Amino acid sequence: MVTTNRGQPALFEPSPPYALEVNDINVCYGTSRAVLDLNLKVPEHTIVALIGPSGCGKSTLLRSMNRMNDFVTAAKVTGEVLFRGSNIYGKDADPVLLRRQIGMVFQKPNPFPTSIRKNITWGPSINGYQGNYDELIESSLRRAALWDEVAGKLGESGLALSGGQQQRLCIARAIAMDPDVILMDEPCSALDPGSTLKIENLLLELKERFTIVIVTHNMQQARRVSDYTAFMYQGELIEFGPTDGVFETPKQDLTRDYVSGRFG
Amino acid sequence: MSNTHGMTPINSAIFGGSLRIQGEKKALTYQARATWQPRHRWRAFSSKLFKISTFLATLLAIAALIYLLHSIAGQGLERLSWDFITSFPSRFAAKAGIKAALWGSAYLTLLTAAIAVPIGVGAAVYLEEFAADSKLRRFVDINIANLAGVPSIVYGMLGLMLFVRLCNFGRSLIAGAATMSLLILPIIIVSAREALKTVPMGIRHAAFGLGATKWQTIRAHVLPAALPGILSGIILSLSRAVGETAPLLMIGALSYMAFLPESLQDAFTVLPIQIFNWSTRPQDEFHVAAAAGIIVLLALLLTVNALAILLRMRYQRKAQW
Amino acid sequence: MNQGVFLNISRVKIAHIEEAFVKKALFLCAALSVIVTIGIITVLLGETIDFFRVVSLGEFFGTATWAPMFEPRQFGIWPLVGGTFLITFGAGLIGIPGGLGVGMFLNEFAPASVRAIIKPLLEILAGIPTVVYGYFAVTVITPALQQLLPDTEIFNAASAAVVVGIMVLPMVASLCDDALRAVPRSVKEAGYALGATKCEVAIQVTLPAALSGVIASFILALSRAFGETMAVTLAAGSTPRLTLNPLQSVQTLTSYIVQVSTGDTPQGSIEYKSIFAVGMLLLVVTLLFNMLAYVLVKRFRSVYE
Repeated sequence: MVTTNRGQPALFEPSPPYALEVNDINVCYGTSRAVLDLNLKVPEHTIVALIGPSGCGKSTLLRSMNRMNDFVTAAKVTGEVLFRGSNIYGKDADPVLLRRQIGMVFQKPNPFPTSIRKNITWGPSINGYQGNYDELIESSLRRAALWDEVAGKLGESGLALSGGQQQRLCIARAIAMDPDVILMDEPCSALDPGSTLKIENLLLELKERFTIVIVTHNMQQARRVSDYTAFMYQGELIEFGPTDGVFETPKQDLTRDYVSGRFG
Repeated sequence: MSNTHGMTPINSAIFGGSLRIQGEKKALTYQARATWQPRHRWRAFSSKLFKISTFLATLLAIAALIYLLHSIAGQGLERLSWDFITSFPSRFAAKAGIKAALWGSAYLTLLTAAIAVPIGVGAAVYLEEFAADSKLRRFVDINIANLAGVPSIVYGMLGLMLFVRLCNFGRSLIAGAATMSLLILPIIIVSAREALKTVPMGIRHAAFGLGATKWQTIRAHVLPAALPGILSGIILSLSRAVGETAPLLMIGALSYMAFLPESLQDAFTVLPIQIFNWSTRPQDEFHVAAAAGIIVLLALLLTVNALAILLRMRYQRKAQW
Repeated sequence: MNQGVFLNISRVKIAHIEEAFVKKALFLCAALSVIVTIGIITVLLGETIDFFRVVSLGEFFGTATWAPMFEPRQFGIWPLVGGTFLITFGAGLIGIPGGLGVGMFLNEFAPASVRAIIKPLLEILAGIPTVVYGYFAVTVITPALQQLLPDTEIFNAASAAVVVGIMVLPMVASLCDDALRAVPRSVKEAGYALGATKCEVAIQVTLPAALSGVIASFILALSRAFGETMAVTLAAGSTPRLTLNPLQSVQTLTSYIVQVSTGDTPQGSIEYKSIFAVGMLLLVVTLLFNMLAYVLVKRFRSVYE
């Protein structure tokens, strides 16, 4: 157990409506617990940052929000995550349907080894998108700030792009699905500062339409980009609140130590 | 407002429920949600179908194996006896035995190993440790890959012209062993090279740093480390050699032998050829004998492979970094 | 105390001489592989050229009757090629989808414990000698076929095709499994994250990404079936016949070679030389198949390295 100056955890409730409500989530890998009794409410149209040292469970928490942990056979998840009022871990809940509404961008850019066009249209096509695909491609790429760079070369392989461009392609791919929430797992950690800046600006525009939960180990990024910040340590939620509050006037000693760089 | 698409309530809530947002924030240029038709039932069904068909394919493959072994055992087990193993073949099915074939196989395999293993491992060591990565070496690599894919009967033709005729060995044990050596040489070379590749470069560098020559390093450190893999490869190739029929048919291994080969120049026969010969006879009793012969052959192969696994485990324990 | 260790020049000299000697010996071993290839080509080519001095290329490739032992002698290769193709095609029908299915099952659905059982079983299937498969075809498959379809002859192509298919299935399964495993997990995860089902990711994401490796496995399987000897010799018969009917007996390139060389055809005769021409054709076709597969595998590897 983490010893902090808390008799009560620093519970903060943002105002509804919520895109996601995480209630008493526990994730265990075999005997070790990665996420403990976590409660979190993610408001709509905001950017929530999950920060914390390596191994604190932030990626695990993120992946449990769209049931990507289902693919790890050793992982056991208890608790509930409410999306649109229903528990995504409910008995009959279909994870495939869920992931249409909650998309994900991964740490290392992972475009499909096909053309840029196919990367964007594949998700919508298997999910039965009925509209105009060319418009979809253009609008998704514009919103990912990639259209100008690839407009004439949609038939080229996605793998031929630079790292930063590939990641923006992955963001465009996620946007094309028109989800409610986009989960991002350290999306800029494999990129150079220039691409990172481009993507951060992108996020600020995207929150008009989507709700974004972003895991980041870069505290400055969290400050720049997010509305709310959740600080995790060893699987527990230590503090959650508006970003400025968490960084400037943290309520927990542990939070203050982390954001001031005492440990990391 | 929401179309349930035939889903359970929880899924239709997740999929089709309305998002409680303030209307003004909704960007007008985004596609309206109604333009998606997910065909959810069909997709879930086809996913199930996929799972079932791949499972079925696996089940059928395993079933084929079991059925094959079972039917052969059924046909041949009762014919199996000590007499069967110690008798020579005969015109009378009831008296026929595999003595000559069994010993022939044993001799042939040992001889083949004696020829092919040193040459194969030697070639692998040269190609992996000494030869620089040049066009010539890549040509040799392709060449060996091609040789591995040549049908075994072509090796038989080579053996016939080269060993039986040109070298004048005749239809003898030595001709057979030489032919089989050529056949399994690519397999040994490829698997030995793979084994050598797994030895970390650090070992070699450490030895060079102590002033050792390449050969000293290889002999003392690299080869022992690669031994489990090399042994596996050798056993794999010898298993293949034990089961081969066509090349030996071409070089003239006998199908009827009433004595054991005594010297390298003697005629010989092997288990697969004996089995082949009995299978082609019209009488059912010979088929039964063939089945019994197959059981012996498979038992032999099983033993050889089990030996391989044991040896591999033993040497892997010894080679601890 | 240390004087002797670093000044032991003679020992170092011996080591170098030994090294030079060993290097030469090992070089010869490696060179042998090239010599073997040259040997095969020379042997086949020599006799083939002799053969074509008597039988014209036009007759060989242009006519469709193969009757080397009857009068008048005819050497049209197509019945043998047809027989081989019929069996190869049939074997492919069984081995290729079956092997791909098993490969996909191992990759997508099988937990580690199940894999640990199935992979060795597949290796056993692959290690069974071909003469055993031939026996199985004659004693089990053909009677079963005859019960099902009474027109089936005692020697027939279908029986051989079935067992050769079973024979190549493990090869396809194992190679496809390797190719599918090589697709990075992150690419598959990207597919799942877009709301795709397992079937959709497996077929529309993983399989295309692994395609050249998978196709290479198909080609290798067909090549193996093409060169298969014992199973077809036992099960398919020795009637050179150009037919699409798998229930009849046919003769393949390989079983013709066996038939002549185990018979009492005199050595210098033209029928005897014909086996080398047939062998040459066999060699060329399988070599082409294998080279194609090799090129595909190399191209596949380079995508992910």
